[in-house]
Amino acid sequence: MSGVLLDVQGLSKSFTVRRGFMGGALATVHALNGVSFSIGPGEAFGLVGESGCGKSTAGRAILRLIEADSGTVLFKGESVFAADTGALRRLRRQMQIVFQDPYSSLNPRRTINQTLSEPMRVHGMGSSTEIREAVHAVLGEVGMPSDAAGKYPHEFSGGQRQRIGIARALVLQPELVVADEPVSALDVSIQAQILVLLRNLQQKRNLSFVFISHDLGVVRHFCRSVAVMYLGRIVERGPIPGIFDEPLHPYTRALRNASPVPDPAAKVTMAKLEGEVASALAPPSGCHFHPRCPHATEICRQVYPPWTELGSGRGVACHLYPPEPTGAAPS
Amino acid sequence: MSDASGRELALDVRGLTTEFRINGRWYPAVRDVSFALKRNETLALVGESGCGKSITALSIMGLVPKANGRVAAGQVLLDGRNLLALSEQQMEKIRGGAIAMIFQEPMTSLNPVLPIGFQVAEALRYHTDLSESEAKARALELLQHVKIPSAARRITDYPHQFSGGMRQRVMIAIALACNPRVILADEPTTALDVTIQAQVLALLAELKAETGLAMIFITHNLGVVASIADRVAVMYAGDIVELAEVGELFRRPTHPYTEALLASIPRVDRDAGDLKPIPGQVPPITAMPAGCRYADRCPLREPRCTQESPPLSPLADSAEHFARCWVRAGTGGSAA
Repeated sequence: MSGVLLDVQGLSKSFTVRRGFMGGALATVHALNGVSFSIGPGEAFGLVGESGCGKSTAGRAILRLIEADSGTVLFKGESVFAADTGALRRLRRQMQIVFQDPYSSLNPRRTINQTLSEPMRVHGMGSSTEIREAVHAVLGEVGMPSDAAGKYPHEFSGGQRQRIGIARALVLQPELVVADEPVSALDVSIQAQILVLLRNLQQKRNLSFVFISHDLGVVRHFCRSVAVMYLGRIVERGPIPGIFDEPLHPYTRALRNASPVPDPAAKVTMAKLEGEVASALAPPSGCHFHPRCPHATEICRQVYPPWTELGSGRGVACHLYPPEPTGAAPS
Repeated sequence: MSDASGRELALDVRGLTTEFRINGRWYPAVRDVSFALKRNETLALVGESGCGKSITALSIMGLVPKANGRVAAGQVLLDGRNLLALSEQQMEKIRGGAIAMIFQEPMTSLNPVLPIGFQVAEALRYHTDLSESEAKARALELLQHVKIPSAARRITDYPHQFSGGMRQRVMIAIALACNPRVILADEPTTALDVTIQAQVLALLAELKAETGLAMIFITHNLGVVASIADRVAVMYAGDIVELAEVGELFRRPTHPYTEALLASIPRVDRDAGDLKPIPGQVPPITAMPAGCRYADRCPLREPRCTQESPPLSPLADSAEHFARCWVRAGTGGSAA
């Protein structure tokens, strides 16, 4: 890996929601709180976590599909958040998104050709002949027959629609794709087809991915490193497979142990995690995970643990792993 | 009723065929499905979208939509009584009584405008002679049994005040209300996060061990199958293609579809190298091939496979492991 393609620092976003009877009271949800990571060219980086952990919000904030409250996102050194309309349009050409639901993310009243050629027209990429050729080329690349161009989304299965969604992202020749649960709505045999397709495209085009998923198996297969999120914050980050084989943060370990494995002998390891994910409206004090954590101590209830870098890309936010004393301080 | 091993049968499904009408013609969505469910046993029905696993459950419960669907053949025997021959009125007493169902979506299968305690008690009031106060007391017991924290306080809460995992616990309490002998659970943990899924699976396993009830567990997730099932029936395009004890199935997947399905799962516990997707797609219900329905996608295909439909046959060396394959089971060739 040489250099950094995408650098995300201190990304935060909160939403104001109405609560209570008839929506009378206002409350704040901290969907993202100080999220930082960076991705090299051609790298697939996973964001995993359970519902409401902020992984999708992070993906959308990076592309400025929603405006973050604070933090910076640099794409090849250029600030995404500071970009004006023209600059943002140029950036968006290089940063595309694939959505989870192949049924609702395609316009049912447009042919596949219309859906795929629109982004190119918006970005002024070539004459109509060139656009037509590009559409046919990209359909071939995602394994669709070229007569698909004249058809409508309802004529295709879920797996085929997801291929079309991928084609729409690729038609602009982006360098980064944010893939938000791209295989979660698909059956396993189709899921494997799409994962193999994404892997081939990644290698052929040297694409980088922010790969958002709740499925640790899928992430282990597709990504080189991963960040685990809990209630808006990254709790652990590290290379694959180390982070899954030897998880450090108690939440990563719980998530790993709760992930079903197709092996009846492994069922004994399904140790259950007590309690439920707390509400993002009122996250617990200190470490947000402490009410469910078997190792929680007094400090966990009071102080959010600092981020500790452990070398070789591994980092964790947990009081069990205190930061190394820096400098020549006596131990 | 008991099977050869002398274990008591909870439910016996024989030759179940359920059809749907499409453009004036009837097509089978479930074809000649047979299995026996023992007491204290969890049988997983596993397969991908459209394989017929949910339709099998709806057929057992007599819930196939009458407008365009029908059970065309077969028997569902509960204590020697064929449920398919019962009137709607008689079936209403069975549903939620001897057989209970748990659905995928705990958000939509509870009534949003009634307190959860009322909804648990309602099942008791309908199926038993309990008085209102007795039913209420029993509802509280049930909610405590499924480990709803501070159940006594929350019994008057409404579904929206519960998380997804807690709602599914309420659904399980309702299902257990009348001490059913059989529970049909249709993707009960699919909508839940994995840590919550693990809790609900543990609860179901515990309840089964306690009460000895039999469970049909419908899922698309082979990881969940491995952690909850005693026996597994793999379905493909309306057929059971393989049936075996859970350890045996994962140790020795014999139908080429089962084998391919296991090879297409990205696993969190190991680097499986490259995933092997299954090429092609399930044939549409209106255009099922004459022979084996998996033949189109099968690497072991022989001429016979595209002409004749193979029966579900025991393997040469195991009377308890069945596969629907000319090449690997029955008389068609040597077992794998």
